[in-house]
Amino acid sequence: MSSRRSRQSSGSSRITDDQIIELVSKLQQLLPEIRTRRSNKASASKVLQDTCNYIRSLHKEVDDLSDRLSQLLSTIDADSPEAAIIRSLLAES
Amino acid sequence: MRSASSLRQEFLKKWLKGLQIYSGSKKEMSILERKKAIKLSADVAMASTRISTSSWSRALMARASNDATNKVLVQHVLSPEAQKLVPIKKDPKKLMIISRSTSSISKRISSKKIVRRSCYATRRMRKAAAQVVEASSIAKRLVMKRTEVLKSLVPGGEYMDDVSLIRETLDYILSLRLQVDVMRHFANATEETDHGKGYK
Repeated sequence: MSSRRSRQSSGSSRITDDQIIELVSKLQQLLPEIRTRRSNKASASKVLQDTCNYIRSLHKEVDDLSDRLSQLLSTIDADSPEAAIIRSLLAES
Repeated sequence: MRSASSLRQEFLKKWLKGLQIYSGSKKEMSILERKKAIKLSADVAMASTRISTSSWSRALMARASNDATNKVLVQHVLSPEAQKLVPIKKDPKKLMIISRSTSSISKRISSKKIVRRSCYATRRMRKAAAQVVEASSIAKRLVMKRTEVLKSLVPGGEYMDDVSLIRETLDYILSLRLQVDVMRHFANATEETDHGKGYK
């Protein structure tokens, strides 16, 4: 429920090369700065580091946007000016 | 995989739904309280869009529900699905497996060193071999260290095995990006409206 309980044959606690290849290829789409490297342990740690930095930067963005919004919205009420915005945002997608 | 636009819509709706909780309460919310409410509602809304397909979302909800006030928010946002929510419990078995295999790896590394040292005749070959093992064990330790950091960043990461961690990380990053995107659009739109109305 909270995890996939299937018996894993690898069951290792370290990340294997195949998993790194999978991660690198998916992250490459998310992080354009990652250069293609030979999949080895050194690049595994670099990928992990880049991932962690990216998550941290996303957290910071959420925080900054919350700051900005708390100043823009004088109350939390879904009041008339905001309601119009909401309606337009919902309509465009 | 659902379309990005349907996820955005769901996030936005749930975010606003969560914010409604605060509209009744104390009129004089400080800016900081408002910010926390906005952020928490956004995080909970984002998690609720992935509640059935990821475990980081459940960990986030469980963490949010630890606070009595926030629990109201979580349940309100989830409403019909709230009953299905199972709190994440620490799985001691899992933690033991992870720590056990960690120590077995270091044992494997040191026993590898011993075997190699006794096999090679010349001192140079022995030294070179030790260096190779040293380098790969450093790399492994670095990967393990960075994995620990990642686990601390992804909600519920500490209880995940490495394979799940990678999958959850990808889902988490995609959700975060969506959250940032919608929040930014909303902030920009609000700002433009304010300027249009001649607000400060």
